[in-house]
Amino acid sequence: MSAWLADSSGKLPRVAIVGGGPGGLFTAWHLEQRTAVPLSLTIFEATARLGGKVCTASFASADIQYEAGAAELYDYSPVDVDPLRELVQQLGLPTVAIGGSAVFVAGRSIANLDDLGDVGGASARREFANFDIRSRSAMTPADFYESGSDHAGDAVAAGRFEPALDGIGCGKARRYVDVMIHSDLATEAGETSCGYGLQNYLMNDPAYMQLYRIPGGNEQLMQAVAGRLAADVRLNAAVTAVGTGPNGALQLQFRSGERHLVEDFDTVILALPMDALKRVRFTDTALADAMRQHVEHHDHPAHYLRVSVLLDRPVPVLPGDDAYVMLDAFGGTCLYVESACDPCATNGVLGWLIGGTAAVEMASLTDDALVATVLDSLPPPLAICRDRVMEARVHRWTNAVSALPGGWSRLPVDRRHRPSRAHSRFFVVGDYLYDSTLNGVLDSAEHVAGWVVAEHASGPGTMLMDRDRATMEALQ
Amino acid sequence: MIVTDHDEPRDAGRIPAGLPADASLRRVPLACNEELLMLIVPLPDGNDGESAPNPVRITETVTAWAAEVDPRDFTSLPVITVPLYGCHVVWKPGQAAVVGPVSRLELLTTALSDFASCEGELRQLEQRCVDLVATVEEDAPHAFEFEGRAVSRRGTLASRFREAVAVRGRLAVLAPAAHAPPVHPPTLASQLGERLRDRTRLAERHEFAVDRAELAERLYEACGQRISEFGIAQRQMALEWAIVVLLVIQTALLVVDLLSRGAAT
Repeated sequence: MSAWLADSSGKLPRVAIVGGGPGGLFTAWHLEQRTAVPLSLTIFEATARLGGKVCTASFASADIQYEAGAAELYDYSPVDVDPLRELVQQLGLPTVAIGGSAVFVAGRSIANLDDLGDVGGASARREFANFDIRSRSAMTPADFYESGSDHAGDAVAAGRFEPALDGIGCGKARRYVDVMIHSDLATEAGETSCGYGLQNYLMNDPAYMQLYRIPGGNEQLMQAVAGRLAADVRLNAAVTAVGTGPNGALQLQFRSGERHLVEDFDTVILALPMDALKRVRFTDTALADAMRQHVEHHDHPAHYLRVSVLLDRPVPVLPGDDAYVMLDAFGGTCLYVESACDPCATNGVLGWLIGGTAAVEMASLTDDALVATVLDSLPPPLAICRDRVMEARVHRWTNAVSALPGGWSRLPVDRRHRPSRAHSRFFVVGDYLYDSTLNGVLDSAEHVAGWVVAEHASGPGTMLMDRDRATMEALQ
Repeated sequence: MIVTDHDEPRDAGRIPAGLPADASLRRVPLACNEELLMLIVPLPDGNDGESAPNPVRITETVTAWAAEVDPRDFTSLPVITVPLYGCHVVWKPGQAAVVGPVSRLELLTTALSDFASCEGELRQLEQRCVDLVATVEEDAPHAFEFEGRAVSRRGTLASRFREAVAVRGRLAVLAPAAHAPPVHPPTLASQLGERLRDRTRLAERHEFAVDRAELAERLYEACGQRISEFGIAQRQMALEWAIVVLLVIQTALLVVDLLSRGAAT
């Protein structure tokens, strides 16, 4: 048994993970997978369910599921090892590749360069091809893969994305690109960096990344992870404050039902989205200062609205057999034909992913008004679905993701995950630290879990590794 | 990869009823020495084919045409239908139909012919692989030990080795087309090629064919080595016997010489 454990009077190291979303569950998974010594692991989740933004819900009028949150998973394996893909395989979950090329602009489908040439002439085709070449020159698949790490090159350039788009000299080609990437960005081009914008354009190229989903619902991934955890999971337990207790341990204040409770832990990992992180109070002055800086650096909110509609019969096959199309409505919206992958579907399911400013503006509408609005945006091949609606559901994900993951200037990975040097056993995990994807939050969780396990194995007083110490000194 | 093509006269029920008057049939010679019977149905340009007279019925008609007319006995691949952004392509070995706006037809027929040439060649190679693998069990013992009574099979084994190498060579030439990564930004032709490759599992079939050809090549390569060893052993044996005979003759001569010397003294 390690020296650390011997010093703890036989008590197991107590690790608290605050947040039962992907970040929290992945961190717990990696901690349990990697640790060589027993840990007392507790997950605090403010709501009644685990999984966070990975949310598969069911309609009330038929036992048919739809994705209320993340609609797809990203597969980086064409470039290099993809830990998320490996985890999905390890858990025995089936996957199905999905894709879509069509972008509807003014009711006209643009699915390839030939269509773009028809709509905008040779100049549109040329301008778009030039933009594509510039983008790929600026960020290779390897740059794309490494974009969240300390090894990321200059490709993840500072500066806003808008000037890069302004370089497209043809209005129609510019509009095509705007619509293609808007819902993935979940923000406006002027609000994010050139690097993140390029990532969201290049993800359309299969050489950089491919898309897949889990038949039966992406939330199965979260359920499969949660089901294999030995951790003590406390649902409806909202952590309200973090500080340092009288004995030097980290202290959590949380609400469980009507009760307000306090509990000490040796290590605390906050795996919360930015809007939830801002609601946590830090009672220790140094920690509060560090977290204020952390939030200021990373707080670039982006927004989603998900509207899902159940139809009384299957959806007509999309042109090109696509699983989704991009619409020019609401600044650029992704419309998923969720039932497209199920040849035995008795009903159709359509899902709109509205992002950015439009999502904020429309979030105040009533559900009925929202549904009516999105149904008006149906493209010609699907317009017939307007009269086949059985039920509709709306999920608002305002402030739920980051428009600028990593901030305007990327901090070293260690610094991102441990905001306070004085609190060596306090960590944060989140997709906003990498690239606003599930892959990113898995990387974040893996980093922190590896760190925590290494420190617990090596004993107290050794938390600050030489590498980290050098980083901290350089930053000061 | 189209060598030449010519319009098929619109005759005797070859074009199914109910299609637009300007529908035509073409026999397109392919680079794989096969022919593709192509039914081409032009739609008016614009609005993604929506303005065409009942495009749904047209696609149903051409799909039924492809399913019914079967000039060759290809049973392993079903009729594949690809709806493609205002166009519709139906394909099976030796036969295809293209429904689309006039401005897109040339792109689609060219892409279809390219794909059909590639698929046709792969299908031929697959058959050659099947023929090769069918002989593997029969010839496998020769890869371990080659016996004198099998000398008459030497020519056959050599020709099968040459066939295995030739098949592998053709499969290597075909590999870039079978495993081509998706093109980005896509064109209509690249999208059609990718979907057809995907639906016909061209990449997987190519890999299986390579595996089979590799198996045959390794077997017949080993057979060649055993035959070579057998030949060397035969030559060595002949040499040994020649030495023995020479030694016997030398001994006999020596004995004769000694006897003659003894008689003289």
